[in-house]
Amino acid sequence: MSFEVIIGIEIHCELKTKTKMFSGAPVSFGNLPNTCVNEIDLGHPGTLPSLNKRAVELAITASELMNCEVDRLIRFDRKNYYYSDLPKGFQITQQFHPIGRGGYVDIDVDGVSKRIGINRLHMEEDTAKQFHHGDVTWIDFNRAGTPLVEIVSEPDIRSGKEAAAFVEKMKSLLEFGDISDVKMEEGSLRCDVNISLRPYGFEGYGTKVEIKNLNSVNNVQRAVEAEIVRQTEIYLKGESVVQSTRRYDETTRKTVLMRKKEGTVDYKYFPEPNIPPVLISDEFYSRVISQLPKTAQQRKDAYINQLGLSDYDASILTSGKDLSDYFDAIVGFGAPSKGTANWLISEVLSVASLRSDKKFADWIQPQHMADLLIMVSEGKISGKQAKEVFLDMINGESPKDIVAKKGMAQVSDEGQLLSWVTEILNNNAQSIEDYKNGKDRALGFLVGQVMKLSKGKANPAMTSELLVQELSKR
Amino acid sequence: MFANRKIENIEQEVMEAVSLARKQQPLLNAMVSFMEVDEAISEAKNSNGKMAGLPIVLKDNVLTKGVRTTGSVQILDNYIGAYDATITKKLKDAGAVIIGKSALDGLGMGGTGTNCHTGFVHNPYDLNRMAGGSSVGSAVLVASGAVAFAIGSDTGDSVRKPASFVGIVGVKPTYGRISRYGIIPYASSLDHVGYFTRSVEDAALALEVLAGRDDKDMTSSTREVEDYLANLNGDLRGKKIGILKNVIDAIKKDQTLALFNELIEKCVNAGATVHMINMDQTRLQACLPVYYIIANSEATANHSNLDGVRFGMQEWGDSLEELMTNSRTKGFSFLLRKRFVIGSYSLADENQDLLLRKAQKVRRLLVEDYKTALSDIDVLIAPASGDVAPLLTDTSADQLSARYLIAENHMVLGNFSGYPSMTIPMGKIDGLPIGINITAKPFEEQVMFDIALGMENLTGCKNMTAEVNV
Repeated sequence: MSFEVIIGIEIHCELKTKTKMFSGAPVSFGNLPNTCVNEIDLGHPGTLPSLNKRAVELAITASELMNCEVDRLIRFDRKNYYYSDLPKGFQITQQFHPIGRGGYVDIDVDGVSKRIGINRLHMEEDTAKQFHHGDVTWIDFNRAGTPLVEIVSEPDIRSGKEAAAFVEKMKSLLEFGDISDVKMEEGSLRCDVNISLRPYGFEGYGTKVEIKNLNSVNNVQRAVEAEIVRQTEIYLKGESVVQSTRRYDETTRKTVLMRKKEGTVDYKYFPEPNIPPVLISDEFYSRVISQLPKTAQQRKDAYINQLGLSDYDASILTSGKDLSDYFDAIVGFGAPSKGTANWLISEVLSVASLRSDKKFADWIQPQHMADLLIMVSEGKISGKQAKEVFLDMINGESPKDIVAKKGMAQVSDEGQLLSWVTEILNNNAQSIEDYKNGKDRALGFLVGQVMKLSKGKANPAMTSELLVQELSKR
Repeated sequence: MFANRKIENIEQEVMEAVSLARKQQPLLNAMVSFMEVDEAISEAKNSNGKMAGLPIVLKDNVLTKGVRTTGSVQILDNYIGAYDATITKKLKDAGAVIIGKSALDGLGMGGTGTNCHTGFVHNPYDLNRMAGGSSVGSAVLVASGAVAFAIGSDTGDSVRKPASFVGIVGVKPTYGRISRYGIIPYASSLDHVGYFTRSVEDAALALEVLAGRDDKDMTSSTREVEDYLANLNGDLRGKKIGILKNVIDAIKKDQTLALFNELIEKCVNAGATVHMINMDQTRLQACLPVYYIIANSEATANHSNLDGVRFGMQEWGDSLEELMTNSRTKGFSFLLRKRFVIGSYSLADENQDLLLRKAQKVRRLLVEDYKTALSDIDVLIAPASGDVAPLLTDTSADQLSARYLIAENHMVLGNFSGYPSMTIPMGKIDGLPIGINITAKPFEEQVMFDIALGMENLTGCKNMTAEVNV
C-alpha cells in the first residue's frame, strides 16, 4: 500500500547586500567573529532600525522572478521570543503583509514540467550564529541582522525528486537574479522541508514532520525519500506519526528526531512601530522591473537561438551563474561561441572541479581565455598547443606572452613550409614509395616529420596539403 | 534665559551649575551621575552654536557614549553608553555642556518620581511633595535654578506633567520632529523627546537645535526646521483658543479653576477668542486603559533586549535561558515586571483582538475626535493637572474616578495623536506652581509657541525658580 506524499518547502535565503537589513554594518561571510556589528545589530538600548533599500530591491526582484504579486506598501512586524541568538528579543519580519504573494515556479522532473505554487515571500533579518562546545556557547553576531527573504511554497510537491528539482530551481532563480549566493553548505540558502502522507483520495492532511538543516540538493531528495519510507512504515504498522522536527543523517541515510513540537509557539506578532509603512513609488518599482536580471532559462534560450549552441551545451553553461557569466564575458571579447562552449565544458570545468573553485575569472581572466580561443580559431596555434598554453595561463600569464616565450606561433608561410617539406621528402625515399603504393599511413608519418623538424610550429593542415602536392610531383 | 544671550564666562557659568546641582543633590536627589565637563567647556569656548557654553542636563535614558546610561533600572546600572544619541550629538554640536544625567521613573514608566532606581526625587518647592514623572530629575534641576535647559522624554505626559508641578516650561513637539535614536524607549509609537526651559523664548530656540530629520530614525520628519525664535510673536489678537471642557468639568479644585479662568479672561482682553470644545466623554475616559495597553505591549517587546547576555547586569545561570531569566528577574523592579506581564498578556495571540488591537482602534477614534476638536481653532488648552503636586506620601488617588481619568490623563492625547503639546506655568496655589497645557495641530509648533508666549506675558510666570535652602 502506498500513500500520497504532500511536501511544502520553506527557503531562507541571505540577500547579497553590502549592509544589513536594518543597520549600516557590513554583511560578512568568513570575517572574524563579532567584527561586522554595530550597536543596532547587538540590540543596544535606544537603537532603531533603518530599512535597507537594496534589500527591498532584491526582494521585489525575487518576487517578480517567482511570479508573485508585489505588495507596494512595505510593512514590518515584530516576532517576539527570547533566545540568546536574537539580540533585540524580537525579529523584525513581515508576518501580516509579505512583499510577495501568490506566485509560482515551473520545475522539470524527468522531462515533465510541473508548476509549484509560491504562497508567500517576505523580508526579515537573520539571527546571530551560535557554536556550542560542551558547556560553553559562543555567539558570533556578524550574521545578526543580515537581510533574508523567506520563500514558502504551496504544498504542491509530491516526491523527493520534485523537492530536489524545486530547490534547484529556487537556487537557479536566486543566483541568476543576483539575489543571493545560494550556498547551501555555507548557510546562505537554508531549506526546511515539511512532509506528510495521506491515503490517495483523502482530502485532509496527515501529521506534518519538518526536516531542517539540509545542506545540499542531493540531501533534500535523500531526506525526503528516507522520510517517506519511515512514515509509510509507521502507518502500515497502524501507528501514528508524531509532529516533530527532524534532521537528515548522511551516514545512516535516515532522518533523526531533533525535537517534538507540542502546540504552537505564540510569537505575539504586532506591527513594528519604528518602521512606518513605506510605499514603493512607481518610479522605484519600474526601475527594478526594468533591470530584472535574465534567468538561467532565458540565457539558455539565447545561447541556443542566438548563438546556435546545442541544448546540451547551453544547459551546462547555464547550470551556474559563474560559468554563464564567464562564457558571456569571453564571447564578449570576440571569441567564437561554439569554440568557447567546447573549451569551457571540456577543459575549464575539469580544472575547476580539480581546484573546486568556480570563480573562473579569478584564475583566468576572460580576456586571456578569449585571446587563446581566437588564436586557435585563426590557426595561429594548434589545439594541442592551446591545451599547453591554457595550463600555463592559470598562473596569470597572458596566452600571447606564453606563445611568444615558447616560440609556438604556427608557421603558415608557404615558402618556409615548402623548404621543410622538400627536406623531409629528400630524406625519406622509403615513405614516398610507400605512399605511391597506397599506404595512407605514410602521409601521416611525413606530416609528423615536418612537425618535428619545425619544432611543432608548422601549420598541420597546410603541411599536409603541400606534402600531397609535392608527392604528386615525384 | 539663554535665548538672545551670549554666555561670556562659560567656565564660571558651568561650574556654578555643577556646584548648585551638587549642593542640592542631598535634598532633591534629581541627578543620577555628574559628567566630566572640562573637555566640553573647552570645546564650547570655540563654539558658535546656539547653546554655546550652556550647562544642561540629560534624562538618564539618553545615550551618551562612554558615559553611564542607566534608564534608572538595575539591569542597566553598569551600562556605559556605546554611542551618542542623535540629540546628544546635536546638543554637543550646538555648544551645550552636559553636566549630568538626571533621574527618571524606571524606563520612563511612572508619573511620580518615586519609581527611580536612585530613590525618590523631591519637589524643590516643597521637599515633601512629588515633582511628577517620569522626566522628574530634569524638571527639578531646571526648576531649582541649577540649569536653564534639560532634556526629558514624554510617552504619556512625562514632560508636561512634571513641568506643571515645578512651574516651568515643558515641550513635547510633534511626533517625528525630534529624532528618537539613542533614547532608551518606553513605547515607540508614543515616545517623544521633550525638554524643559524656564521661558517660551528658550523653548523656541531649543527646538531649532533639536529638531530635524535623522536617517537613523525612520519615523523622523523631513520637514524643514523653522526659525521658531526669530518668528516668535506673542500677540494674541485674533487667536482662536479652544478650551477642553471635559477637563474643566472634571476638576474639583476651585483654586485651579480660578487661576485658569483668570488667564482666559486676560486672553480675551488681549484679543483672543475663546471656544468651548467638548469631546466624547466615554471615549475620553478610555484614554488611560488604552494608553496602558498600548504602552505596556510595546514596552514588553522594546525591553526584551535587556537579557543580560550582551551588556548590562548579568545574573549567572546554568544555561543561557536561565541566565536570561535570572538577569531579568533581578534586573527589573516588581512594578516593571508587572507592566511586562500586562504587556505580554495584551500581546498574546488569544488576547490581542480584545486588548491591543481594540486599544489601537480606540486610539484611532480618539485621534479623530482630537483632530475634529482642533479643526476650527489654533490651540486646545486645559489645566495640565487638576491640582498642585501631590505629597510623596499620597498614594490614595482614586484611579477610576472621572477626576483622575480625565483631569489627570488628558495630555496623553498629545501622544496618541503626536500633536505638539506644551505646558507653561499659569500661577501658584499656596506657593505651589501649577501649569496650563497648550496643544496645536501637527507641526504647528510656531503657533503653539506664539500663543504660549502671549500667555506667559499675561501670567508673568517666566524664569521662575524655587528657593532651595541648601
